Amino acid sequence: MKQEARPPRVPLWLFWSLVTIVMWGTWGLVSKIASDEVDAYMNQLLFTVGIAPLLVFAGWKVSRAGKKGATGEKPGMRSRGVFWAFLTGILGGVGNMAYFEAMVKGGKASVVTPVTALFPMVTVLLALLFLKERLGRLQWIGLGLAFVAIYLLNA
Amino acid sequence: MGTMVWLGFAVVALVLWGVTGVTQKLSTNLISSERSFLWFCYAMVALSAAVMVVARPHWGLGIPAVVCSIAGGALNGLGAWTSFRALESGGKASIVISLISLFPLLTVILAVALLHERLTWMQAAGAVVAILAAILLSLEPAPVQA
Repeated sequence: MKQEARPPRVPLWLFWSLVTIVMWGTWGLVSKIASDEVDAYMNQLLFTVGIAPLLVFAGWKVSRAGKKGATGEKPGMRSRGVFWAFLTGILGGVGNMAYFEAMVKGGKASVVTPVTALFPMVTVLLALLFLKERLGRLQWIGLGLAFVAIYLLNA
Repeated sequence: MGTMVWLGFAVVALVLWGVTGVTQKLSTNLISSERSFLWFCYAMVALSAAVMVVARPHWGLGIPAVVCSIAGGALNGLGAWTSFRALESGGKASIVISLISLFPLLTVILAVALLHERLTWMQAAGAVVAILAAILLSLEPAPVQA
């Protein structure tokens, strides 16, 4: 008997969003467990080991797109784009080390993670100052709430 | 004093990750997200090499701690990849990013349930307000009508 094709019960974007929540939510837990024994430097080394398979996968994807000539990149802009990506990695990595050190110094995962998750407040402020982006009313409220949250979490 | 030490490191992480929000945007405006992610990973390798040279990592570790640290890197990287997949699968950026901003809620639940962490009422309220703030901050403002 032929069945009619039905749309998936869970949209793909929702599925991948929920998987992301599980991945990043669990990252905070395993970081806290590791922080009992591992220092921030050693964690950075092991963190990189964990990310290595994705480096290989990303390299394969970039190589395949390059062979097809389907990178969709602006000609002559690659070196600048690579510079910003590399800087993102360095800043992100040092940020990871600081996040881990906060847990090594006794910060609870249930408090450190919500504090550091407020990082978009810095992004929106920088975008406001340097990229001349405009903030919506809800973002201004979010910015105010971020300061309230830091006060409450430190109480 | 002890509180201030962990909070200081947490704020450093917050600021550095906040800056990456801008540098990542500058990068993906010029190159593909795959190449951007690849060079992000190369930077992680370079940073680890610098750590090997400059710092003295402590090698005598138990297997559970090593597994948790490696898992941390894998979960972080996979989370970045699945977030791209969510955006590429037709999800609106404002909804996907707001939804993903709920991830600290899972950390709080897991830490309380599995690590038996205890929060004061103020801290619990702070965690809820922080997650709400992160959601509001991730909302793109509507384009201005000409």
